[in-house]
Amino acid sequence: MSREEKARFEQVVMPYLDDAYGLARWLTGNRTDAEDVVQEACLRALRGIAGFTGTNARAWTLAIVRNAAHDWLRKNRPQAVIQVQDLEAIERMQSGAASDGAASAGPTPEAALIARAEEARLEAAIAGLPVVFRETLTLRDIQGLDYREIASITGVPIGTVMSRLARARGRLIASLGADR
Amino acid sequence: MSDDIPLLNAYIDGELDPAHALEIERRLAADPVLAAERARIEALRGAVARLPRDKASTGLRMRVAALTSAQPVRVGARAGRSLRWGDAWSAKWGAKWGTMAASIAVGLIAGSLGTYVALGPGHEPSVPQLVVASHLRSLMASEPVDVTSSDRHTVKPWFNGKLPQSPRVVDLAGQDFALVGGRIDVIGLAPVPTLVYRRRLHLISLMALPVAQAAAAAAPRRAIDGYNVVEWTDADHAYWAVSDLARPELEEFAAAFRAGEAEP
Repeated sequence: MSREEKARFEQVVMPYLDDAYGLARWLTGNRTDAEDVVQEACLRALRGIAGFTGTNARAWTLAIVRNAAHDWLRKNRPQAVIQVQDLEAIERMQSGAASDGAASAGPTPEAALIARAEEARLEAAIAGLPVVFRETLTLRDIQGLDYREIASITGVPIGTVMSRLARARGRLIASLGADR
Repeated sequence: MSDDIPLLNAYIDGELDPAHALEIERRLAADPVLAAERARIEALRGAVARLPRDKASTGLRMRVAALTSAQPVRVGARAGRSLRWGDAWSAKWGAKWGTMAASIAVGLIAGSLGTYVALGPGHEPSVPQLVVASHLRSLMASEPVDVTSSDRHTVKPWFNGKLPQSPRVVDLAGQDFALVGGRIDVIGLAPVPTLVYRRRLHLISLMALPVAQAAAAAAPRRAIDGYNVVEWTDADHAYWAVSDLARPELEEFAAAFRAGEAEP
């Protein structure tokens, strides 16, 4: 590996290490595995640094972390991945119909109650989301990326980002309104 | 209403074009149910945004930084993990380690990078460099030892079966050098036993190299990247002590270890 590539890696990836770790932590669900995923992702980023064209270092880095996390999930949490495939199938069948059963099932909480939701309760609710919803919500509401960036990171059309985000939030609102 | 929900979300996120945004605003004004949903989504967004942000640990940061440098070899911390009795010990010492980690973090960032650069491709690293690199590596791992005990009768047997010879372990608690535990490092291609001692918040790695290997070593340097190194030899081993402890204290440690009574 050339000196230039190493320097480029330090410029492109290192500034986003907190974001990388945050995404990996939300996807794997714990710190130790998140660190492993980030290390693996950084190895991949280092090997592929020549392929970075220089437009959006953060999105490029997070896409690699996301892919490494999905590989990790396939290997260590196959259950979660099956769930993803089911959801994708449901999504295709519904083809644009955005109603989400989960959102309308529980009692609908007041906005004020949501705003006061305890940290632990909110974290647990997010952790309980299916992976595709969780990653979309994490990228948007925790990391503040726009829909276009999220679409490129997760490899889906912007319309899918929009519907996943709506469902993720709908599920969270429902679960915060559910009985404690 | 449900068809509007993704559009409403996109509107709240500022992702709608002006025509769609106006359309949603019109519906929000007309539909109190949709307006209530908007309030909920905004409340949720705010609550999620207030969650504490994740930060990469210093250890992770250092390990990633090490990717762009030559990597010193060490028997993996993971392999040793099952052998550790770390948990109970961690609970007891966790707070102290925290302080210690903080005290070494700054030195690490400056020191380890320097070492890795020094170890960069092109020239064979010398034994003193490998010794310091292993010490740094251990500071970056979640724990600096693979067997944790202040009892030499626990530490010494741990090496049995892992190495042909277990090292001499001396109890120096009386001289204010507490035994922390042991691990196995790889220097060159040879596994070597390493004992870890502590004075105040400073850790000392003491490696016992086979004499043959030590003979090939370059003359020891007194300090590498700010870490002090003291080396001495007995009949069987060349001992290398590495620490960020001040040099006189590290020499005091070396003298105490040499004079110390080995276990019966």
